[in-house]
Amino acid sequence: MEYDLPSDFDIIVVGTGMVESIVSAAASRIGKRVLHIDSNSYYGGLWASFNLDSISKIPEGNRSQPVVENKENEIVYPVGNDVFDLRIHSQKWHIPESNPEKDVDESDSAVAQEEHEWTQEKLLKISRKFNIDLAPKLHFAKGDFVELLISSNIARYSEFRSVSRILTWLNGSLEIVPCSRSDVFSSNRVSVIEKRMLMKLLTSCVDGDENEFKGYEGKTFQSYLKDRKLTENLIHYVLYAIAMCTDDTLCLEGVEKTKRFLGSLGRFGKTPFLYSMYGSGEITQAFCRLSAVFGGIYALNQSLNGFIYDNDNTFKGIICGKQRINATHLVMSLEKLPKEIVDFSTTEYISRAIFITDKSILEDEREHLTLLLFPPVDRKAACVVLELGSLTGTCPKGLHIVHVFTKQTVNPEDDLKHCVEKLFCKREGESNSSPSILWSFYFSAPNTFSQKLECEKLLNTYVCPGPDLDLDYDPAIERAKEIFERIYSNAEFLPRAPDPEEIIIEGEDNNNIINETEERAEVPADQGDVSSELAHEDDT
Amino acid sequence: MEDDILTTLKILIIGESGVGKSSLLLRFTDDNFDPEQTLTIGVDFKTKRLNIDGNNVKLAIWDTAGQERFRTLTPSYYRDAQGAILVYDVCNYATFSKLETWLNELETYSTKRNIVKMVVANKIDMENREVSRDEGLHFAKKYKTLFIEASAKTRDGVQSAFEELVQQIIQTPDLWDSYSLGNNVSLGNKDHPAHTSQCSGYCNLV
Repeated sequence: MEYDLPSDFDIIVVGTGMVESIVSAAASRIGKRVLHIDSNSYYGGLWASFNLDSISKIPEGNRSQPVVENKENEIVYPVGNDVFDLRIHSQKWHIPESNPEKDVDESDSAVAQEEHEWTQEKLLKISRKFNIDLAPKLHFAKGDFVELLISSNIARYSEFRSVSRILTWLNGSLEIVPCSRSDVFSSNRVSVIEKRMLMKLLTSCVDGDENEFKGYEGKTFQSYLKDRKLTENLIHYVLYAIAMCTDDTLCLEGVEKTKRFLGSLGRFGKTPFLYSMYGSGEITQAFCRLSAVFGGIYALNQSLNGFIYDNDNTFKGIICGKQRINATHLVMSLEKLPKEIVDFSTTEYISRAIFITDKSILEDEREHLTLLLFPPVDRKAACVVLELGSLTGTCPKGLHIVHVFTKQTVNPEDDLKHCVEKLFCKREGESNSSPSILWSFYFSAPNTFSQKLECEKLLNTYVCPGPDLDLDYDPAIERAKEIFERIYSNAEFLPRAPDPEEIIIEGEDNNNIINETEERAEVPADQGDVSSELAHEDDT
Repeated sequence: MEDDILTTLKILIIGESGVGKSSLLLRFTDDNFDPEQTLTIGVDFKTKRLNIDGNNVKLAIWDTAGQERFRTLTPSYYRDAQGAILVYDVCNYATFSKLETWLNELETYSTKRNIVKMVVANKIDMENREVSRDEGLHFAKKYKTLFIEASAKTRDGVQSAFEELVQQIIQTPDLWDSYSLGNNVSLGNKDHPAHTSQCSGYCNLV
């Protein structure tokens, strides 16, 4: 049974990336008729996660677009551009294809337990145990994203793991960043005097009155830290790891960033961060699910053949396959924007590398989920390193997935080389304490958050940016909200979705009414007070 | 109250549009049937407690939210499900022919290798039947699934379908026992039992 898509909607969303999915969910949630389509066969676009087999097959750039004919009174724009897409630099194996001497055992548990001699064949056999993010994200425990998931009740679709340690690179080795009060006090790398200095500084960043930062308006955060007479090591921890700043970051921005970090401490685990189980790609799917639950219609793998506008450049509809589908508004991902409309002269890129490795960059008795903030050195920008173990559901037991990324200056390999060389074995087969890279993938992704995306030329058309360098989804949520409010200015953005128990489906005599508003009043009061619940879980 | 719950199981309902997936779900969880029900809107998943052989289990039964229409169920829909109910309409042969595709889909996305499958032949109260009981049974045998004929309208077979599925899951301990991985953070809701553990925290926010 193949169905035709309905042909009339309030809003068509093209692309299933993060920003598009949030807008889609928000529009569905307030009862708008939403069509959400993607030309890819998978969810997530540039924000997707792939298994090991499928990541080697991801398309680079859009396929060539068919020529479309313009009708009278209408202009049809072709779909897509080749600017805002992934650029694959290299994808390589660093292990033999197979090991003919040993019989390959098929059961997973045997693979996990036996003495590891990884081969390509072995890894590809368990390809589905990998969930490799194109755009890995962490979530501040009290950040906008976590708050939105809870307030909209989308949280029920996902599970998280807390980042268990934060590292930095200091004086030629990996150091654990003391970030919570208990960390600071238990650390033997920080002297007693330093402990008091650090606690005092962190406290004044959080509670500090205006006078504290008077005179630092035009000065750097680094200069403030120096004036507070912090030791070199402490400045390093605060500047590069806690505040994630550069030497040039202004003082007030540094203070804000410190607050963002500290404000999320103590909610879950030892660090302020969470990571989505099974990969960041799950998150876009959670928003899509909510959209579908409220009536959004989903179709992937669609051949999009044109965007239809009238002579005043007002959006009319899309051509999908041979079908014409009308709608009032169009929301689309940047990759789908017609070539003519884009100004790509200022496009920036993110240099990314993904590795599969055979052990942790800093081995410990238990498995960690590690965030390493590699400080800027010489003229190289700071790099973010995220190491995921099997407990995140993104790779098989015994292996790690490591994401490394930074702002692009040259190309992925050159931008990340200094960091990668310090963390991993230099040569294949060389055995020392560093982990070996079994598989590597270098690529560039456009960083379009600074891009000007207002589509002045095309009316009722809203363009969503792709992934950015922010650790969390804050900018994506902000953009999605902005787009939603431009379209539906008086509507509530993602109000709480009812729990299944609250939905009463009326009996046979009545029409099917989802009786949600009345029920909401019955939600116990403690449901709303998340923080009180949280307190019990803090730092146990 | 929560303490006597042996485990929480995730059950999926899949199959073509219009075969009565939501009707089966609502009949089972709310003992409700609406002949006019067209498309599934607003039904995400429903929960129900069930006592099987003296064990209390809690079921979270997930509906497709209409995402099956263009075959766009998200991979995360299938994630960690211990049981799946595959539904066809006995009055519509095409929905039966498509079962194989649904089995494939399940094969591709399910993360538990021994997920228990139950084929449900729905709408047996109707007169214009196109798929015989034998054909259904044969299919179930071929693919080693459970099988039952049911009618969401008359209640026939509905309760048994879920009970037999759950029974089989309970008899496969590694299917649900291993779920106690702990340490995961669930921001979600009261349907995920709170495992309060001492380390970096499986916590339940709401």
